[in-house]
Amino acid sequence: MEFTSAASVEEATALLVEYGTAAQILAGGTDVMLQQARGEISAGVLIHIGRIPGLVGITGNGSVRIGPLTTHRSLARSRLVLMTAPALAEAAATVGGWQTQAVGTIGGNVCNASPAADTAAPLLVAGASFELTGPRGTRTVVGDSFFIGRRQTARATDEILTAIVLPHHPERTGDAYLKVGRRSAMEVAVVGLAARLTLDVDGTVEGARIAACSVAPTPMRIAEAEEILQGSRMESEAIAAAGEALTRAVSPIDDARATAAYRTRVLPGLLARALGVAAARAERGVG
Amino acid sequence: MTVSVGRSVVRQDADPKVRGQAVFGVDFELSGSLHAVLVRSPIASGRIRSVETSSAAAVPGVRLVATAADAPRILSGLALADQPLFAGDVVRYEGEPIAAVVADTVTIARAAAARVVVDIEPLPVVASLSAAVAPGAPLVHADWSTYRPSPGLPDWPRHDNVVGEMRFDSGGVDDVFSTADVVIEDVYTADRQYQAYLEPKSATAVYEAGRYTIHAAHQYHFNVRDRTAAALGILPSRVRVIGHHMGGGFGAKLDVGLEPYAALLARLAGAPVKMVNDRVEDLLSCNSRENAIIRVRSGVTRNGRILAREFLVDMDAGAYAGDTVFLTSIALFVAEGPYSVDRTRVVARALYTNTAPTGAFRGVSGTYLYFALERHTDNLANALGMDRRDFRIRNAIDAGHTMLNGQVLEDSDLLRAAFDAIDEVAPWETLGRGPNRGVGIAATVWLTNPMPGAVTLRLEPDGSLGVVTGAAEIGTGAVALGVRQVAAEELGIDPDLVVLTMPDTDAHAYDGGAQGSRTTHIVGRAVQHAAAGLRERIFGQAAKLLDSGADELEITDGRVRMVSDPQRTVTLGQVAGAAMFDGGPIISSGSYATPAPKHDPDAATGLLFATFPTPTYHVHVAEVEVDPVTGRVTVLRYLVAQEVGRAINPAGVMGQIQGGVTQGLGYALWETLQIGDDGRYRQRSLEAYKLPIALDVPRVEAILLEHPADAGPYGAKGVAEPPIVPVAAAIANAVADATGGSIVRLPITPDDVLNALESSKE
Ligand SMILES: Cc1cc2nc3c(=O)[nH]c(=O)nc-3n(C[C@H](O)[C@H](O)[C@H](O)COP(=O)(O)OP(=O)(O)OC[C@H]3O[C@@H](n4cnc5c(N)ncnc54)[C@H](O)[C@@H]3O)c2cc1C
Repeated sequence: MEFTSAASVEEATALLVEYGTAAQILAGGTDVMLQQARGEISAGVLIHIGRIPGLVGITGNGSVRIGPLTTHRSLARSRLVLMTAPALAEAAATVGGWQTQAVGTIGGNVCNASPAADTAAPLLVAGASFELTGPRGTRTVVGDSFFIGRRQTARATDEILTAIVLPHHPERTGDAYLKVGRRSAMEVAVVGLAARLTLDVDGTVEGARIAACSVAPTPMRIAEAEEILQGSRMESEAIAAAGEALTRAVSPIDDARATAAYRTRVLPGLLARALGVAAARAERGVG
Repeated sequence: MTVSVGRSVVRQDADPKVRGQAVFGVDFELSGSLHAVLVRSPIASGRIRSVETSSAAAVPGVRLVATAADAPRILSGLALADQPLFAGDVVRYEGEPIAAVVADTVTIARAAAARVVVDIEPLPVVASLSAAVAPGAPLVHADWSTYRPSPGLPDWPRHDNVVGEMRFDSGGVDDVFSTADVVIEDVYTADRQYQAYLEPKSATAVYEAGRYTIHAAHQYHFNVRDRTAAALGILPSRVRVIGHHMGGGFGAKLDVGLEPYAALLARLAGAPVKMVNDRVEDLLSCNSRENAIIRVRSGVTRNGRILAREFLVDMDAGAYAGDTVFLTSIALFVAEGPYSVDRTRVVARALYTNTAPTGAFRGVSGTYLYFALERHTDNLANALGMDRRDFRIRNAIDAGHTMLNGQVLEDSDLLRAAFDAIDEVAPWETLGRGPNRGVGIAATVWLTNPMPGAVTLRLEPDGSLGVVTGAAEIGTGAVALGVRQVAAEELGIDPDLVVLTMPDTDAHAYDGGAQGSRTTHIVGRAVQHAAAGLRERIFGQAAKLLDSGADELEITDGRVRMVSDPQRTVTLGQVAGAAMFDGGPIISSGSYATPAPKHDPDAATGLLFATFPTPTYHVHVAEVEVDPVTGRVTVLRYLVAQEVGRAINPAGVMGQIQGGVTQGLGYALWETLQIGDDGRYRQRSLEAYKLPIALDVPRVEAILLEHPADAGPYGAKGVAEPPIVPVAAAIANAVADATGGSIVRLPITPDDVLNALESSKE
């Protein structure tokens, strides 16, 4: 296995073109190195992108632009993220343990596209778009068209994720991310659920977005639940109906972490809880 | 006043361990060492058709590939001689060694091991306890009847897949069940638990001049010597075992692991051979705590007297007897627990299955037996409408209680002190209040392992005291603190002046290993015996130097002085120096083993472990909260009242309690090795196998009860093993209380919690 470090996005994409499927981008390496050790991937060349300027950091002026090399630790502590999308900070703070968060990046998390990727659901409810740069230039992929299958994204093999953009954060909007795992850290999500609500002054739901991870081959928006909540005033019947819609929309599996039945079982209660937090934040105008 | 005992002295081995300077078993390497890797069976049961080694042997850097054909055709085992080194014709569990590759590097050995082609015809798999005793069940060992116990052990009842069976019956149990006011029956199950020490198993061996030297990071070096010798068919004196720092064992490193393989391969290769398990093979092949099924039935009167009990236990020995057959005996001591029961029947069986052999893990079978007993005790109290704590205190044993083996517990009223001590800190009625909260209580009696130990003390001219012992420091501080502080106390010197040895079976007398909380208790006692002789020589020599009578002297602060004239002194170093050419170096040896308590050896059949020496008493209380949405359990408070006799090093004891409770929480809530129908584990890495993490473990509030016992050094009894024993019981009782439902298996899953919540709503 070869290792090379790219100095610019252009150099990195040129290397991707040169090595084709043998190439593997290396950011924090918390997925790549394990997959390599387990024989799940067999990269011929690791292209390290950690030295490329401009790919790290969070900037905002209306919309928020997140560099793909931003670590989970920085996300979890970012004032800008905590003010506009606290669900994302919450998700980042649950990735593995401190060591994982200090090294793992958001770009790696979404490009690895595990069904359990913690940052995915909060990004989906925030309406994030993904900026991909390749030999043919830069393009933007919106929301859930980025995650197209288990460990599959819309990214072409010669493209690099160069930014994640969260659109302008509307007034009276709040979000929340809840993760179910056996322990308080070092857990791959048994279920992860993000909710975002925009409330009218009288408490009517103007906009509702729900997304979940570890319940299907990809992180997914749950449109059926969103529609039920839209226009409601969060009556317990509406929340219960949304919870039911949620359980119908997902297709979880049995694995070593939990059964499909357990995953389905927790969803309604989890949704109610997430909506409660999101609504409170919306009232306070945070997140 | 003591100079050392009762103080939280700092460990000498802490600094090098923190700095990474301590050499552990996995670090140790002899120059010119080769590296060996085992080829293990990928399936749980099958007949070996062929083992094709030539392409592995052809890999550059490979020195040899060994199979059953290269090993002596011998069966051996801790209790029963039923296990070959390498599987020859049948494999009985996933992970069973079939061959070994010795190469210049580990990488080459691993690559070559992958080229050993093993052709196995699959056979039916006995994957569960119920399958093992089902009518017509395949026999895991077709030749079981030809097996013999290991030397020194009488045979015991066994047949087919039942490799051990302990039976006790006081008579009249069934009569009570047909007449008692209330009869309650419960069935509990517990999964396996992996010891998950930080340092995987390892061994380095060299063969020279007809003897094997094994470098081990092990709990029980003399057992490594004896078991390696048995596996190779040689005398124990042909094997020397040298100890190194070890990164934990928790019971898994009491029996041999890789040592006999390293020894055999070193002889075959004519060079030192080092072996280290990788984490996955360590987990899959480890002698984990056995899974079990426990059936408990009791007949009680309406006012809460326990008239009769039946306690039926099936434990999974795995593919070989290991030490699990011994553990059936523990059921005799837990069937009644710390409560009075009029009539009792106990049957505990160890069963063969096609799974990795199980074995000792801190608290052994006591953990799940007490889980069953104490869950059942809650059910009895609840059925009678009695408070669960009151019910226990009402039935608690008093001083002079006679156990089922006829042994009398002189001090068993100490249990009541433990109930009181917790209540003073955290009154029972105040705990577990509020929605989704609950409180659990569990009480236990536990033992201190009686195995022998010995020590030689050497007083040196520089004033230091050499403590020469084969006792193993497993990391608890039993040697580094316990033995050292007792030795320092005996001579009235600074503990920093004590120099400890590492175990060496050539140089030291027998030691029964780091097990069952025995080391400080037993070896400390041996130190006291030795110190008596040492003082005699010191006083004799000092008397000459001070021109006094030997009986007019005392030792304080590293000096010998005249009692009547404290200004007339000589240092211990001067005494040792003077003795050097006047009688020779000042040394003295001492030995100790706990005398077996009086008991009736025929009380039960198949009782391989007949007494419960140096008992200690324990009460644990847990307060939990359950999440009604996710079923997660949060432990809010955890309290321990533990009888320790005397805390030689209070910080060390507290550390053992915090650690034992933490492992117990893992057992209760997260850790499991589930066995699939194919006999293979479902959890196959530390990602899937969930150990407790700091965030989920509360700071344990421990109360040390000190009632010094004559037998222990300065009254110290065993302290390190028992804190894990009641934990699963206390947690399960708390979760049952919080949910209002029933909790019948370990670990308690979120699904179990949600089911319990739902069932209580119905
Ligand atoms: C102990 C441990 C615990 C973990 N716990 C969690 C958890 O709780 N939740 C969770 O979601 N994940 C978890 N993970 C997985 C991992 O840490 C995260 O997915 C992390 O965000 C990956 O980031 P990275 O920078 O390390 O990615 P890398 O491993 O470097 O890369 C991951 C993938 O993304 C690609 N890639 C990375 N950056 C780019 C880019 N800019 N453009 C294109 N492709 C790119 C790589 O080629 C690779 O395929 C855990 C991992 C470990 C080791």
